[in-house]
Amino acid sequence: MRPGAGRRSVTGRATAAGVIVSALLILAIVFGSRLLENFDSALLPYAVATVFLAFGVAYRYTVWVSAPGARRLFKQGWRSFFSVANFRKAPTALPRMIATYLAFQKFLGARSHARWAAHQLIFWGCILAALITFPLTWGWFTFTSNSGSGPGYEMRIWGFKIIGFDSLDFLGRLMFHGLDIAAVLVIPGASYFLWRRMKDRGAITGQRFAYDLVPLIALVVISVTGLLLTFSSIFLHGGGYEFLAVLHMVSVVFTLIYIPFGKFFHIVQRPAAVGMQLFKYTARQDQEVLGCRRCEEPIDTGPYVENLRSTMRDLGLDFDEWAEYCPRCKRVLRGSAYLSQVKRGFK
Amino acid sequence: MMGRTIFIDPGRCIGCQACVSACRECDSHRGKSMIHLDYTDEGQSVASLPTVCMHCEDPVAPCAEVCPADAILVTADGVVQQADTTRCIGCANCVNACPFGVPKIDLQAKLQMKCNLCYDRTAYGLAPMCATVCPTGALFYGTVEELQAERPGVQVADTFTFGRSEVRTGVAMVVPADRVRWPVPGGLPVVEINGKDVRR
Repeated sequence: MRPGAGRRSVTGRATAAGVIVSALLILAIVFGSRLLENFDSALLPYAVATVFLAFGVAYRYTVWVSAPGARRLFKQGWRSFFSVANFRKAPTALPRMIATYLAFQKFLGARSHARWAAHQLIFWGCILAALITFPLTWGWFTFTSNSGSGPGYEMRIWGFKIIGFDSLDFLGRLMFHGLDIAAVLVIPGASYFLWRRMKDRGAITGQRFAYDLVPLIALVVISVTGLLLTFSSIFLHGGGYEFLAVLHMVSVVFTLIYIPFGKFFHIVQRPAAVGMQLFKYTARQDQEVLGCRRCEEPIDTGPYVENLRSTMRDLGLDFDEWAEYCPRCKRVLRGSAYLSQVKRGFK
Repeated sequence: MMGRTIFIDPGRCIGCQACVSACRECDSHRGKSMIHLDYTDEGQSVASLPTVCMHCEDPVAPCAEVCPADAILVTADGVVQQADTTRCIGCANCVNACPFGVPKIDLQAKLQMKCNLCYDRTAYGLAPMCATVCPTGALFYGTVEELQAERPGVQVADTFTFGRSEVRTGVAMVVPADRVRWPVPGGLPVVEINGKDVRR
């Protein structure tokens, strides 16, 4: 293969994936909103941003899973996922991993309880906000009132009635203020991380403004401007609403377009990690643990080490048999070689 | 080899563990030591070997290359950083692929950690914690010229062999003058294990 041809083919595949996914989203918007009948034109910039988001995520994802390390684990993860034998052996493994790993992020608690709590606030706040706003901007959700201005409303998805509610009762208020609740969750979480990025010397080491601080600032700006919109409509009779709406829209559009290219891409990457965990877990169930060739300390599962060795060979790292030695034995063997062949007696 | 880097001279190491203690004070992994101190022939010899991240330059950071989550960043100054906490999935690819046996992993936290050349200090021109406290100069931080000014005639090597592969690193080792033209053996192929010849 000519130099650069591999990279060009990855770029080509990624562009094609981006175009296909964004085209599918446009079709889903058109048909989901009943040929744009339910599409709210005031939300057009948001909808356009989600199409860019779909393109960017598909593009970056394709580039990401094209690299040898990710590609091999990606395949093994899906293989474990679709394996009927694995499912029979451990039917609860996958839902348990999704719950502990993706939803409640238990591993973050092992790093720091405060960071776990702050991340949970941001996570659930963003999930809530996404579940409300994405379908709204695509014209999939509509809230209609026979009287024109309520208080009785009907919530429809793709034009089909789901529930009817009174906007003044508890459920109605909860639904109408869902985004305010999301903002109240996100603000303390993001503020904690911002504070940490300014105070914690470990976090400060090597931090980059665009990568580490911009996403947090964006979350705070989106949440605060969102809350101010509610404040304006309730207490200021709409004073400053238009300015706030533009500010809010700009911050949301910027964040959506930033997702594939910055820190937020971990949202897309994380679910793939469950595949990796499942791949290791199922091999461990079969007692396929590989011990160090020298000291017999368990290294990892046999299939996992074989997968790593294949990745190393793909990358031209020809010392892949070294992967069957534990880190300590590698160091000791290197020390012994230095002792016997370079500086006898370490003199 | 980077301009200012660590030079390791196992011949000077007395195994005092001062580097291990000092490493815990590094701001980027407070409370956890990332340096390894191994006794290569325990019970027979007092020889000890300190191991920091060698910051591989060619091939560039095998740990970063095998990482499925693009979590290991190599900064423009050649320092291989520890895993990005947001991205690391705790798969241990880096731990098992590193030819020097450097990265550590916390399986509960799903997080890799490793020596990052005390980036919080070296980025500001300060020496890493381990080299600052080493009482014998087994870990020296500076340029090769500074090392040679302090230790006339000393030679260093920054290339290691692992079987048929060679790895050039940012961190270098002190070698005898007659060995400077040869890469330092990395331990592979393994000749013997626990007294048994395993060459066949």
